[in-house]
Amino acid sequence: MNWHYLINELYYQRRRTVISIIGLSIGIAILVILNSLSFAYREAARQPLKEIGADITVQRPGDVPEDLKGVVFPCSAVTIRDDEARKIGSLPGVRGIGKGLLLWVFDPERAWIVLGVEEKNSIGPAVLRSSVTEGRFFEGGRREALVESAYARQFGIKIGDSISIAGRQFSVVGYIDASRAAKIAIANVYISLTEAQGLALSSRNVQSVAPFAQGDVNLLFIKADQERIAEMELSIKDIMGKKTSVATPESFLRLLGSLFALSDKFTMAASLIAILIAVMIAFKTMAGNIAERAREIGVLKAVGWTNRNVVTQLFAESVIQCFIAGLLGLFFAVIVSYGLSFMTVSIPIPWEMSPNPHFLPGGGDQVFKVLRLPVYVPLKLAFFGVFLSIIIGGFTGALLGRHISKIKPSEVLRHE
Amino acid sequence: MSKETILSGTDLIKRYGSLEVVRNVSLSIGAGEFVCLVGKSGCGKTTLLSILSGLEKPTSGQVMLDGKNITEATEDELALFRRDNVGFIFQSFNLIPTLSAWENVALPLFPVKMAGDERRRRASELLEKMELGHRLEHLPAALSGGEKQRVAIARALINKPKVLFADEPTGNLDSATGDAIMEILKNLHTEEGVAILMVTHEVELSKAADRIIRMHDGEVIA
Repeated sequence: MNWHYLINELYYQRRRTVISIIGLSIGIAILVILNSLSFAYREAARQPLKEIGADITVQRPGDVPEDLKGVVFPCSAVTIRDDEARKIGSLPGVRGIGKGLLLWVFDPERAWIVLGVEEKNSIGPAVLRSSVTEGRFFEGGRREALVESAYARQFGIKIGDSISIAGRQFSVVGYIDASRAAKIAIANVYISLTEAQGLALSSRNVQSVAPFAQGDVNLLFIKADQERIAEMELSIKDIMGKKTSVATPESFLRLLGSLFALSDKFTMAASLIAILIAVMIAFKTMAGNIAERAREIGVLKAVGWTNRNVVTQLFAESVIQCFIAGLLGLFFAVIVSYGLSFMTVSIPIPWEMSPNPHFLPGGGDQVFKVLRLPVYVPLKLAFFGVFLSIIIGGFTGALLGRHISKIKPSEVLRHE
Repeated sequence: MSKETILSGTDLIKRYGSLEVVRNVSLSIGAGEFVCLVGKSGCGKTTLLSILSGLEKPTSGQVMLDGKNITEATEDELALFRRDNVGFIFQSFNLIPTLSAWENVALPLFPVKMAGDERRRRASELLEKMELGHRLEHLPAALSGGEKQRVAIARALINKPKVLFADEPTGNLDSATGDAIMEILKNLHTEEGVAILMVTHEVELSKAADRIIRMHDGEVIA
């Protein structure tokens, strides 16, 4: 293979080189962009759960309490027994588990949404520790509470105040602005899980809907191996019953409703079509190029180039062209992906995951998680795009080279 | 023929379907001999030249080139044999349009493991001999017809061939340029001792040859 000959051929036959490169690069760019979009939607669908440090949340829907007084369960989240939580925690693919207890507290003067949070756990609402805007996070063993900052402003609650929740006094130690960080598992007041369990245990309205024992909770947050999430969803329903609400990135993806989000098959089919068209353009251009060079190939063979020499030369030309096309396609894809990353996407939060009582004003409004679509070209996809273009080049070059090397020099050189 | 035989064809027949283009031809060429193959267009001269040079296989018969039976060689063996033993000059030059003059001359050496500088040195030397030392970097499109043919001759000589096959080498040139090219071929024959088999339909050009072989309807008639 002669580099100088190769470079000259590509340089002096600029028109066909450019057509071939542009054709394939567009195909590669479409492939990379479609897959980047698909990844972006998947990543976006992970956000609502990711921001509370989980991959899966588990709730058990229950009945509406007869009497909306004192401490009650939201009807979307009733008791998850401790033994059920343990079984789920031991499922294959579970990396860690966090617990929470969401309660509605209807006191005579005020209604609270109260969330019991584990003090130290990187999974679940304890990650909201970083959302404390003023004061400090509560400490275990003390009756301390964090109040959501907007709620505190609305009702004039200050740090150091004492608030009464279902007749128990809690000292306000800080404000928290969870709404910026998360859309699920948010509340007006955050207390320790143990204190929340104490409230639930002593509530007749809680016990009448779903018996609640020491150690029970009503929210589970699971960190899991990505590839086992679908299988775990089924296992969780086996343990807790078919009606259990299991939220996964897949379930959020379905809510997004985009073609890219809905179907890997769509992305794959569209990518395949783009690549096929691109390959056909590149193949046709290169085939035309090589057919035009039949006489040149005849000369090469006449002056002593073997079939292998000819095929190697054409193969290298094709691979280099397609490699350049791959890089160019990747460049186009990065530019377009950057543009697309300014798009926003609104992910609807299912009503059962919204902590607000739906019968209160504004409680039934659809809650959305709005975020910029995280479109970028993953390194693996970039390598795949370039690698694929090299493979296409190799395949095209080898195929056309083999075909053209069968030319007999006497046949193409005699017709002068 | 005073010298040992470098090229011989025995009972050569070439058929394309039912059409017999070369009919039972036998001939031989001595080392350093200048032979002209003349005849009207379509009489089978180019086909015979292709067979004798190993570009094409005969339907039957045998070709011996420098002691090797090339009719039994595989395609790749033939390619290597051509590279090491023969040179070609074509009517329409057949230069590679994207390569410069010196690169065209060095074309047969591209697949050979050799330093790039050595290739260039050998090509440049030949182009100097052809009085094209000032055109080394020019593409064929920038050369005149005579210059292109001189580049083609230099390419044919790059491997110091034993036999040079020339198919109507002046066919695309005006008479003055054609004469100049014939002068170069004659010099190659007399000074370098290269055997030349030239196909032409111009009787005038054949006068430069040591021997003339006439063809008619696929047969050698004299």
